[in-house]
This record gives sequence, structure tokens and C-alpha cells, in this order.
Amino acid sequence: MFDVAVLGAGPAGMAAATEAARRGGRVVLLEESPQPGGQVYRAAPPGFVVPEDADKRAGDALRAALAGSGAEIRTGHRVWGLGGGPLVPQGSPPAPFRVDALAEGAPVTLEARALVLCPGTHERIIPFPGWTLPGVIGLAAATILLKAQGVLPGRRVLVAGAGPLLYAVAAKLHKAGAEVVAMADLATRAEWARALPALAARPDLLARGAAWRAALASRSVPVLAGARVAAAEGGGALERVRIVTATGQTESFDCDALCIGHGLVPATEATRLFRAAHRYDRAAGGWVPVLDADRRTSVKLLYVAGDGGGVRGAAAAPAAGRLAALAALTDLGILSGRAHARARWRPWAEHWRAARTGAAMARMMALRPALVSAIPPETVVCRCEGVTRAEIEAALDDGAAEMNQLKQFTRCGMGPCQGRLCGEAAAELVAIRVGGREHAGFATGRMPLRPVPMEALLGEFDYADIPVPKPAPI
Amino acid sequence: MGCSTALHLARGGMQVALLDRGAICREASGVNAGTLTMQMTRAALIPYALRAHEMWLRMPEWCDGGDVLAVSCPGLSVAFTEHEAAMLEERAHFRRQAGAPIELVSGGRAMEIEPGLSDRVLLAGHCPIDGFTSAYLTGRAFRPALLNAGVALFEGRGVRGVEQAADGFTLDTVAGPLRARRIVLAGGVWLEEMAGWLGVHLPIKVLINQLVVTERIRPVMRTVLGVASGLLSLKQYANGTVLIGGGWQGIGDRARGGLAVRAENLQGNIRLAAHTVPALRDARVVRAWLGLEAETADALPAIGPIPGVPDAWIIGSVHSGYTSGPYFGKLLAQAVLGEAPELPLFPIDRLLAKELA
Amino acid sequence: MDAAPGGTILRRVSESLRIPGIARPPEVEFSFDGRPLRAPVGESLAAALMAAGVRRLGEGPGSPRAAFCMMGTCQQCLVRVEGRLVQACLTPVRAGLRVGPA
Repeated sequence: MFDVAVLGAGPAGMAAATEAARRGGRVVLLEESPQPGGQVYRAAPPGFVVPEDADKRAGDALRAALAGSGAEIRTGHRVWGLGGGPLVPQGSPPAPFRVDALAEGAPVTLEARALVLCPGTHERIIPFPGWTLPGVIGLAAATILLKAQGVLPGRRVLVAGAGPLLYAVAAKLHKAGAEVVAMADLATRAEWARALPALAARPDLLARGAAWRAALASRSVPVLAGARVAAAEGGGALERVRIVTATGQTESFDCDALCIGHGLVPATEATRLFRAAHRYDRAAGGWVPVLDADRRTSVKLLYVAGDGGGVRGAAAAPAAGRLAALAALTDLGILSGRAHARARWRPWAEHWRAARTGAAMARMMALRPALVSAIPPETVVCRCEGVTRAEIEAALDDGAAEMNQLKQFTRCGMGPCQGRLCGEAAAELVAIRVGGREHAGFATGRMPLRPVPMEALLGEFDYADIPVPKPAPI
Repeated sequence: MGCSTALHLARGGMQVALLDRGAICREASGVNAGTLTMQMTRAALIPYALRAHEMWLRMPEWCDGGDVLAVSCPGLSVAFTEHEAAMLEERAHFRRQAGAPIELVSGGRAMEIEPGLSDRVLLAGHCPIDGFTSAYLTGRAFRPALLNAGVALFEGRGVRGVEQAADGFTLDTVAGPLRARRIVLAGGVWLEEMAGWLGVHLPIKVLINQLVVTERIRPVMRTVLGVASGLLSLKQYANGTVLIGGGWQGIGDRARGGLAVRAENLQGNIRLAAHTVPALRDARVVRAWLGLEAETADALPAIGPIPGVPDAWIIGSVHSGYTSGPYFGKLLAQAVLGEAPELPLFPIDRLLAKELA
Repeated sequence: MDAAPGGTILRRVSESLRIPGIARPPEVEFSFDGRPLRAPVGESLAAALMAAGVRRLGEGPGSPRAAFCMMGTCQQCLVRVEGRLVQACLTPVRAGLRVGPA
């Protein structure tokens, strides 16, 4: 039995595990990837030597601290099931949390008294005609390809969407030798101007942004502000992208890759499974668990740190992780109230400072309803199940009034991605009809958290081992 | 059952209001495995299930186009051990007597009917007219017909209590009182509490059934499968997904609903499935969920008048009730409309008497 | 005298989607749908297929499937490796890997 299990080894998870272990907790950190780092500080595969940059240095520092902390690090663990805590039969005392994972295809079950969730985000991509063409990938996908794999998504690339990732990807593509045919930024120049004061708190980021812009300007890459992708076109794969500019004109660009992202959405599958309280916060990325200043959820001994609790960026995440770890140790009685009070002010202040910039960036990446309104009827919204906007609208006409009902009426979100890809667009379409995302709600959290190969769960068994209960009467 | 009752009452000329604290068919009827099988139906209910089977298949005809994509296909209930074979023989015998066209076939013959079946089957019950629906479509299928029939649909309108008034009932709802001449309680596992509003104590047991679905895979089976003990239901839909059920229990209760899947029961359930159709080993599990099933003390339905309360009726609480649901609703509507039901109802006096004794 | 080999290198670099200046482990052979391909051992299968020009990985209901999120979320890069269903973006390349559509 562990004192604390930390799920997810991004910056928040690495810092949470490090802090909890250093202060005497028995800690386990579970991560799906082969190495700690998360998406932002994702480490290149073994044997790959990528050039140093600020992100790599930050990631390496967190990894080094973690390695020396005494926390048990379990990478390559895909968590598919969570239980215990409040999820016990009526009248039963609260149980420790149970974590079911697959490691190298074999099942692993762990127990912990407290659970710190650091699930991060997934990328929001609002569908548009042609978004399912091979050659179209996410902005976050592009950063992983470029940073961790050293592979270009294409030779001639168009970068589109919203947020700082846009400039980072365009600059990296350019530096790596790809031709950036254009950048279509949903944000207008006025929006960036409004975000500047918050960015001023982080001169390092500001300088990096300026360098990115300069790099693009030096190659005279067209940067279209207030522009959106109208369609991706091509036969078997992407050949060109049509852009609608701020003035309503259409421009077409030949390219073999489109990297597009419309912001980040906190991953709330686990907190939904535990039925923690959530609130809708558009500026923080969407539905987020209700958290106190120390990252406690409404469920006892369950904590959320990092962007999974609301998008605040990688700089704020380690401080949030440390706050969660300190709160968990205190709630478990490992840390005294006085020690907690002494220890928490520094990460608290650090988080407050970093979150200010992070929040400004998150606002740039918030969902833009106009993108959803622009989805044509015949465009596939749910890719796993092939559900179009027209089919969603028909279900809404038939009375579907919230997300679970829409799922039942259309199968939208029933496929293997479990609604992670289509959820934002679908929920917004429901929200238009029912008066807001709060009314549209969210799909109930379900196990498994990720698709699991049946074979891994089955294990070796004899028929006689299956505990078949007494049959019903005839 | 509530939707079917309301629809048939409205078509019979009554002015009907249908209240649900959430959306219609969002509980048991919308989340169950959708199995239409005689081989998991209790012998006494076979005549009802046969008629309901026909109703599900013809749903678009009588439900204004509402469709749950019902499929009729052979069903096999299989035995892997001598003990199960004996159980199967006995159970098939009773069900055949009740009118279900079930024949016993060898493992080899069963594999001809279902090529996806394991070669370890000793004996199988074969029913040529089993089948399945996409249960999640049930609410969408009923809705247009209900509205066309003039049913006043009040969704998201929970009822907190009922008072008997001089000429009918006053419902205390979350959106104010509602008056009705007659009342039909169709609340599944919540019937115990609802019957309590009228001073009747009807004990209802709650089952928390787990269901599991795979992602789309190549066709691996073409029948609806179960095992002799009844703890498996297995079918593959046209879209390629395979639904695995059978009544393995998860965590939950009336108050909180289905709360959590028990990982060990998930494993037991899919082991049974993969033992029956070996090709399933290859699939990935996409989702597991829970459905609440109600059961009376004798595991037979509660359908009929509420004793001692004129103009109050009850319908529900039956093991494998989805199969027979639309027909039960039609029967109760006949009784409420003052007609003689085609087949006998299941009055609850027997369940109350037991309670008093 | 440098022109010819320099030109060759330049062309090879510009044809490859692998970014120059990164030290990689040795390349190994694997296959997709029977077609032999090469990639550094340990590279993610999704990246390796992309670098090899294999973009369409299968057919979904209503649209083709291709690597999309690269982080294990979207399930679009599902392929069959040695008979098992895996997400290409979470699977490292190994020598002799037989890969096919899911």
C-alpha cells in the first residue's frame, strides 16, 4: 500500500511525486510513456540525442529531481481502471484507492491512500471539411513529432489554430528545414495586444515569442491574423488548405501537411469517474474539477495538479504538483499542519505568478464558438463512429438535451477515443440548443480509461476458475 | 414499460402525461444489453416474450418509425460441463413447454449454427427466433410516437410524492403539483419507494449489472449467445462492436445509481465471453458501464392494480424485462382502459401477502 | 568538386522527413502491409510510418485513419503488429516488426 499514487509524469506529476517522496511519503508515480516528461517535456526515445533547448533543460531538471527523490517510478504503465475511495458499496467504510494498469501487456494493481491526478490535457480540434485527411495532424502532435521524434509532418506545412503553440510549431518547423507556407492564427492582433501585460511577467517567454515571429518574418512566411481554416482538400491525402482571412477572403495554399489546434482541454476522465464536483470554465479549457487552493477535489484524498485542473501552462504545473503533494501528506497525517503552513507558501506564490501568464495564454486557446457554427452539416464530427454534424442536429431535433443522451441517440463519443476528439464540438452543438455548456453537461466517466486489449485482461485461466454465481430461477 | 404503457393509453383515447425525473429510457431500458432471447426468459414469461419479440422487430410499424435496429437471429445457450448440460436440458424442457421453440443440439451442430463458437461446447440450446436491439436507441425510438399520440412529455420532472385526492391523485413534482385521474407507477428499481407514496410496501431488489463493449472488429459471430447458467449474453452488432453482458455485479445502489465497475467481475465476464467465442481475445474493450435491474421476491413481474388504491397501477420489476417490456406496457394499458388484457397480468397481491406473513 | 556529393546529400535530406542534426540509433528493417521499410530502432512507429510516406493507416467509418494526436488519445493510428492491435504512436520500432492495418 502506497501513501500517495501520482498518475501522470508531466511537470505537475514529476514535482508532486518528488515533493511527496522527499517529505517521507511512500510514493508511486505511474506514467504511460517510456520516460517521465509528459507532453511538454517529452523525452526523446533512448539513443536519440536531440539538441538542447529550454524545454529539454526544464524537463531534465525535473527528471533529475524525481530520480533522486525515492519515489517509485513506474513508466510504461497504462492506467485503465480506478476504484476504491468513495466508490464502495453503501455502508462500507471508505477504501484505499485502487489503480489498475497494464505494463508490457500484463495487468498490475496498486493501492494507495491518496491519489494525485496529473492527467494533463488533450488537444481541441474543432472539425472542418477535410480534417480527417491523412496529412492533417494536431499542433500538439506536431510538437511531439518535432521535439521527441525529430520527424517533420511534411515538407510544405501550413500551421493553423490558436495559442502560443502555433508560433512554437511554426518556428520549429522552419528551423528544421520544412517550408512553412502560411500561419493562420485565429487570434487577431488586438487579442495578442490585450494578452501582452500578462506576458510581460515572463520576459523569457516574451523573448522566445519575439524570436519565433522574427524567424517567420525573415522567411516572409505569411502570418494571417484572425484567420481560420475553411477546408483541407486533396484526393487520398492533403494537397491544399483553404483559409478564410479576417476580411472574409479565401486564400488557398498548396501543402502536404496541416498542423492545427484550437486549444487544450483538461482531461477530466478520472475525476468524472470518481464523481468529483466539476464546473465549466471556458477560459481554463472547459470542464474542470472544483479545486481548493491546495488542489483538493471534492472527493476526500483525491487531488488534481497541472493543466488537468484547468489550463495554466507548464511553468505553473510543478508548483501545483508540490501543493497537491503537501496537501495529501497533511491530510494523511504524515505532515503536521504547522509544517504544511511553512512549506506551502513558496509553491503557492510561485504558482500564483506563473498561473497569471498561463491564464492569459489559456484565454487565447479558449473554445471559439464561431468555429463550431462553421462546421458544415456533412462534416464528420465523431471520427470513431462516423457521426456528422447533420446527424447530431437531427438527434437534437429529436430531443437529445445533454451529452449522455446525444451519445445514446447518435453513438457520438461511443468509439475508442471515448469522446476525447469529438467531445468539445459535440458539447458545443448541444449547448447552442440548451443554453450553455453547464446544461449540456458531460459524458459520465467510464472504465476503461483507455481501450484495453481483451487478451491482457483475460490472463491465463481455466474455465473452472471463472466464478459463476448461482443462476437465476427458471 | 412506462413509455409503452403511456403510448398505448394515449392511443386508447386517454389524455396522458408521462413524467420522468430525467429523460425517458435513460435508466435500465436505455443501458441494458438489448438481448431478445427466450433462453434467459423465465418459463412463465415465454408467451409474453414471444409477442414482445415480434413487437421489437416491427417497432417502426407501430411506433411511428421509431427504431431500435432490432435483429432476429438464432440464439444459442451453451454448456461446457456435464453439470451445465444437465441444467440446460432441464431449463430447455421447461421453456419448450411454455412455448419457446428451443431444441438441444450437439456442440458440433452448434458450431455450424455459430462458426465463431468454441469447440469445447458439449451441448447447446438452440432457439431460432432470438435476437437483439440497440437498447441505447430506445428513448429516441419512443419519443416521436409518444408526441404524435398526444402524450404530454415531462422530462426532468421528478416526482417527490403522490397524494390521493377526491377524484384522483395530486403529484408533488419538482415543478409544482400535477393532478391526474389515474396513476401508473413505472419506476424500475425505484418502485419500492414509489409504491410507498401510496402506503404499499413492495420490496424490490436491486441488481447492478455490468456491461462491456468492444471496439469495432471484423465479424466474429452471427448469433446471440449465452451460457446455461445465464451469466453471459453476447452479440455482435452490424457496426462490428461486441456487447458482453450477463448480469455480473458492479457497485451501486438505488440512491447513487451505478457507481463503479468491479474489475474482478469485468474479468470474469470477459473470460466467459472469450471462452465462448475465442476470437474475442483479439478485441479491445472500449467501455464498461452499469445498469440497474429490479427484481421482485419471486423474480416475476409486478404488473397490475395497486391493491387498496383505486385507479393506481404498477408496472415493472422483472428479471430480463427489456425483452418483454413493450408487450407488458400494452397489456397494462388494456387493463387501465377497462379492456380484458390479452394475457394475464401479474398482480402484486402475492408479493404484499408474503410481506405480511 | 564538392558539388556532386553535396548535391546528393542535400537532395537526400530534403527528401527525408527526418530532421538532420539529431543523433539516432541504427536503422532496422520492419514492414507495413508486406512492404519493407527502415527506421531507427526506438522511433515511434507512427513517426516511422510518416517518415516512410505511409500516411493512410486504415479505414474508419466515414473517413480514412491516419496518425493524428501522436500521444495515445485519438486512437486513429491503430494498427496490427504481430497480430495484436496497438497504437502506432505508442509503439517503438523494433527490427523485423510486421505491421499491417488494424
